[in-house]
Amino acid sequence: MLRKLALGGLKNRFRDYAVLFSGLVIASAVFYMFMALATNTSFLTKNSPVAFTPFIFGFGAVLLAIITLVYIVYANSFLLSMRQRDYAMFMMLGAKGRKIGQLIFLETVTIGILATIGGIVIGMVGTKFVGQWLIHTLHAPATGFTAIWLPAILWTLGFFIVLFVFSAIYNASKLLKTPMMALLHQTQTPNRIKQRKVSFAIQIILGLVLLVVGYYSMANIAVFQLLAIPLALVTIVAGTYFLFNSVFVALISLMKRNKAFAAKQLHTFTLSQLSFRIRDYTRILSVVSILFALALGAITVGLGFTHDIPALANQATVYDVTVTSPNAATQAEVNKLQGVTAKQQYTLKSDANTVYVNQAAIDAHPLEIKANDKGLNAPSIKVTSHNFNKMIKRYPTAFGVFIGNNRGKQMKVADPATFAKLGHTETLTTIKVRDFNQNYDTIQKIVTMQQHQYPRLGQTNSDQKFAFYAVVNGMYSGLAFMGFFLGLAFLAMLASTLMFKILSGANDDQSRYLMLQKIGARPQTLRRSIRQEIGALFLLPGVVGIVHVLFGLQMFKALLSQPYANLLVPFGLFIILYGLYYLATVWIYQSIVINKDLAAKA
Amino acid sequence: MDKRQPIVTVENVTKTYGKRGEKQTPALKGVSFQVEPGEFVGIMGASGSGKTTLLNILSTLDTPTSGSVRIKGDDVTKLKGNALSDFRAKRIGFIFQDFNLLENLTGRENIALPLALQNVSAKKQAEAVDKIARTLGIEAVLDHYPTELSGGQKQRVAAARALVQQPDILFGDEPTGALDSTAARELLNTMDQLNHDEGVSILLVTHDPFSASYASRILFIKDGQIGSELKHGDKSQEAFYQEILETLGTFQK
Repeated sequence: MLRKLALGGLKNRFRDYAVLFSGLVIASAVFYMFMALATNTSFLTKNSPVAFTPFIFGFGAVLLAIITLVYIVYANSFLLSMRQRDYAMFMMLGAKGRKIGQLIFLETVTIGILATIGGIVIGMVGTKFVGQWLIHTLHAPATGFTAIWLPAILWTLGFFIVLFVFSAIYNASKLLKTPMMALLHQTQTPNRIKQRKVSFAIQIILGLVLLVVGYYSMANIAVFQLLAIPLALVTIVAGTYFLFNSVFVALISLMKRNKAFAAKQLHTFTLSQLSFRIRDYTRILSVVSILFALALGAITVGLGFTHDIPALANQATVYDVTVTSPNAATQAEVNKLQGVTAKQQYTLKSDANTVYVNQAAIDAHPLEIKANDKGLNAPSIKVTSHNFNKMIKRYPTAFGVFIGNNRGKQMKVADPATFAKLGHTETLTTIKVRDFNQNYDTIQKIVTMQQHQYPRLGQTNSDQKFAFYAVVNGMYSGLAFMGFFLGLAFLAMLASTLMFKILSGANDDQSRYLMLQKIGARPQTLRRSIRQEIGALFLLPGVVGIVHVLFGLQMFKALLSQPYANLLVPFGLFIILYGLYYLATVWIYQSIVINKDLAAKA
Repeated sequence: MDKRQPIVTVENVTKTYGKRGEKQTPALKGVSFQVEPGEFVGIMGASGSGKTTLLNILSTLDTPTSGSVRIKGDDVTKLKGNALSDFRAKRIGFIFQDFNLLENLTGRENIALPLALQNVSAKKQAEAVDKIARTLGIEAVLDHYPTELSGGQKQRVAAARALVQQPDILFGDEPTGALDSTAARELLNTMDQLNHDEGVSILLVTHDPFSASYASRILFIKDGQIGSELKHGDKSQEAFYQEILETLGTFQK
């Protein structure tokens, strides 16, 4: 009977449970996906150039756990608010308190376990698909990456079950302590915006100081080392909360006090809707803005790493590939290259100790090298017979790629007459392509085939751009991969948190909007009010999140060549996603709270 | 315009629930009556008699299957979209058994809402709210939230919100249903005073004979039809109350 009652609740309020359940599933799926990375130390160390990456992931896991905890607390209070009337009814009909306690425990834990198992399965599928897609696009070796990772399963199950057991105990004790009549007629009491000037000032100053400390520690990660991350986390989370709590509240009361503005249409109502649940909202908005910053930051940094890969690979060599006297098979691969922007063939001749290039050829078509002592964005230098001797002395390593199988010999320019008399003719082809990444596989084949053709290249061909690219790619795409993965995971979490929070208020709002319709509010006015209310809940954390990211990128100055370059793409993409998400939420909300048929609900 | 034009004219209104092909449940089977300007009309009937359906149709929340409802000459059954919303906001006032106040707005904000919806200036809103609050005796509680008010005060705030636009008619749906006897009596006295002193036309739906005894005319509805009618006339309220009780006694059989 008890089980029947507990599970009967599930059937009755399907939509609410669907919201709750899908939110919990997403939360546990994200947690699993993160854990599949964070607990896989062999994957992390192999894919990261930075020794303390597992450490960063450790903090990420702690942060995710905190955010998940907050989320579960919300989910739990939502569950309790859905069920308390039913429970009170059972008590009124004579059910014993102990029985009710068991009922709550059974229901909460059942929902928790089902959601966690569902989340782990979805997390596995998600890890597999997202992982494969990213590994493919990034040419990442992703050594040791698996979708089904036992430690992650255990961590997720353990974490969530512990959380739900505690929630169940909390729910049961809270419900049994509340008087029955209060449960039956639970009316929400409004929060009067009573803010003392002193506490307002303290909160604003505290918030700003905490944010400055957090931003400062991120900007000076070199000084603070590993301490910077936990310091920034704590101060920014707390600072954001204080700022929202003071500024958001002040903003609403300021707008309310502006009579001309507030007296128009539903402005007063919209503002009251926000201030009514302000305490709830400031908490969730802080969480959302942190999630927003994490998601956007991770994606921006991930994209920054992918931008750095060609930049780093380019710093040593101008040509994407150079080919020496190719055989037919190699030539076939060379012909397959796409988007070739420059291709030049030279004739080389050699004797026992020297390789010669024709003066006429090099003056007509200068060889290009990178000033490889100038770091990233080093200029390329055109080498002709005039500056050849100077350049080869200054950048001896830059000329290796031009002499193919003659490695170890001296390279010299010979005037046409001398050149004609020399023997051992070979060809050198220099090739530039528009997009290295697009030709990655072909270039890899060309380089390997040349090494097979000329065994001496096997050890010494590492100055080809491909070799650089492969090394840099192996390191950086691992980081980019983490960035994208975490970014998407945080985005999913953000989405479900905000959606969940907003929809959990829909039940109360239904009667309010019905009332407004009865007293003559036009449906379009109501729609606008909903757009504005939800818009405020989306906009504020979005703006704060962007500010966090802009300061947070300071942390990556050491890792990325230009952390602030190319911000438009990740920011633009993210804002579009966020905007679409806003529209979807508004649409769902409107369809829940605005009634077509007034009499049926009267 | 004819000064004696009826406020509400209901002609042969029927309402049948149930879609085509489904079981048809008639709720109203041809109801006709009028409310004259300044009249206080009570509508009584048992549960399921059709009085709620009738009130929903009168207050434009529902549409009749056939027949027409005119309020000051305008056929409300033909209204749609914004015109319908604006009609509700300007032309009719409504008070409900469960007050239907927005608990996140103060009394003042609740009362001003219909004016705000019509974009009346802030100053005029304040003036109108103060005036109606004086009439209803709720000046002291204007800045309180509904949860901080007693039932009687809530219903007065609701009445002020219904009347602030000076509507053609005030509809009441069991407005005393959730009030204790003292608060109910006070509210009814106020409605009576509004009716006599301010000339507000009132249509009150109730099954409480005491509430109904304040009306100048009572229509009894049974099984979707108006069965009989009582007039207050010159009788004392006590005598009228007794008459209502007697009528109910025979009518319900």
